[in-house]
Amino acid sequence: MVGSVNIDEKISSVKFFVDEEYPHLRIKDEKVCLKCNEKPCLNFCPAGVYRLTEEGSILISYQACLECGSCRIGCPFENIIWSYPRGGFGVNYKFG
Amino acid sequence: MSDFSFDVVIVGGGPAGLACGIHLAKKGVKVLLIERGRFCGGKNLFGGVIYSESLKEIVPEFPKVDPFPAERPVTEEGYFIVSKEGVVKILHTKKTPEESFTALRAKFDNWLSEYALKKGVFIAPKTKVVDFLWKGSQITGVVLDRPKSFQDDRPTEISAKLVILAEGVNRVLTEKAGLVYGPFKPEEVVLAVKEVLQLPKGAMEVRLGVSENKGLAVEIIGEITSGLPGTGFLYTNKTTLSFGVGIFLKTLVDLNLKPYELHEKAKEHSIFKELFQGAETLEYGAHLIPEWGIKGLPKLYGNGVLVIGDSAGLVNPLFREGTNLAIYSGLMAADTAFSALEKGDFSAKTLKTYEDRFKESYIYKDLILLKDLKEFLFRNSHFFSIYPDMLYQSLSLYFSAQGRYKRDVIREIFGIIRKKRGLFGVLKDFLNIGRLFW
Repeated sequence: MVGSVNIDEKISSVKFFVDEEYPHLRIKDEKVCLKCNEKPCLNFCPAGVYRLTEEGSILISYQACLECGSCRIGCPFENIIWSYPRGGFGVNYKFG
Repeated sequence: MSDFSFDVVIVGGGPAGLACGIHLAKKGVKVLLIERGRFCGGKNLFGGVIYSESLKEIVPEFPKVDPFPAERPVTEEGYFIVSKEGVVKILHTKKTPEESFTALRAKFDNWLSEYALKKGVFIAPKTKVVDFLWKGSQITGVVLDRPKSFQDDRPTEISAKLVILAEGVNRVLTEKAGLVYGPFKPEEVVLAVKEVLQLPKGAMEVRLGVSENKGLAVEIIGEITSGLPGTGFLYTNKTTLSFGVGIFLKTLVDLNLKPYELHEKAKEHSIFKELFQGAETLEYGAHLIPEWGIKGLPKLYGNGVLVIGDSAGLVNPLFREGTNLAIYSGLMAADTAFSALEKGDFSAKTLKTYEDRFKESYIYKDLILLKDLKEFLFRNSHFFSIYPDMLYQSLSLYFSAQGRYKRDVIREIFGIIRKKRGLFGVLKDFLNIGRLFW
């Protein structure tokens, strides 16, 4: 069995054009996340975009988002405001 | 007053949108294709294999094209059935290798968009459609995320007689157009993660036994997904390998699993240890596969709008079809658009002929055929866990039966089947598979 896989290393193989001015993923209501026990977003997100802060809230590093759309529907409380990045921004696959 | 005006606006530069655009432009229709990526293909990812038969409909000279957009002809394809201990390989050598090719979408879709440009399709990359223009209940164009000009930062508006949605699996505009009732559910999509891997020079050919003009396309089931419903896949590109796993999003959410850990675990299975030795990850990626099937099929047409490709959920997971169905739906939509243009009527009533065409196609019939497949897989997850073990262990006995009375060997094999699934269970499974298709 593999130990914990370093997702940051995997993500570093992907080219992004980060939109510094406009985060395309946001939490609707942080209180909902605090009440969510399972926090599946920490796991199912293939880019590891969702991280837990020491205070127990969710931090979104939208810059590394692969735009798959899993969190739009995977969040059991529909607590994510989801959109694609603006045109030209975001993931830019070299191989795909 | 809108800023630009086109006969047809297509949203999304994947195979569906591009096929549709090429078909229309060839007939002289003024068509604009809007792509949010920096180029067509930059956001796209698949397993994957492309099929010549569909591509030839839009690029008749394929595969005799330069530059060549695909990777290798598929000369061998099949299944790896993986147990914890080993693998049973079922490989089929193709009589006509020009039928399908492995491909990488950033290159392939980009090539197709170059072809589309040459045929007269206007392409606007780096542009996102954020909304529709409406006239009553009729869609009459799109709103972009770009300002009108340096002096006027209101969003650009483009009017169109018809808008064709080829926006991919995350069908946000299709929802906005009122053609689907809410977002799809986690049990309706497979989340696939994939890596493009570079092996040391010459290693791929040696380790997989593929010479320069040969290619391998393999679906992998069993322990590759840790026995969960889903598949792995392995494709040989020109100088790289595509290797990935796809699992229902619902499974990942329910079991709180990390898809890239499953992927890494699959890579580290003993049967792949040698293959991936010294491999470097050139690119990691993830994508959803729409598997809502016929039950989640959106309404394919509305007033001034049509839906094609992944947005409609046109994939056949059992037969690994997707890009070809996307192309065909694009062609059917183009034919519909063309007759609507001739008639000068873009109401839902006229555009319904797209659905009529679709319902006559094998794509629709196949969706009906596979209507219960998803539920079947969820209900019968032992196909992914028990059967691969059973098959491997039985064959291990069969292939090492020398020096023994064979009746004992056969009895032992039956013993394994009885223990793992039970003879009645196996019989029931076969009947259930039969019932699924007949």
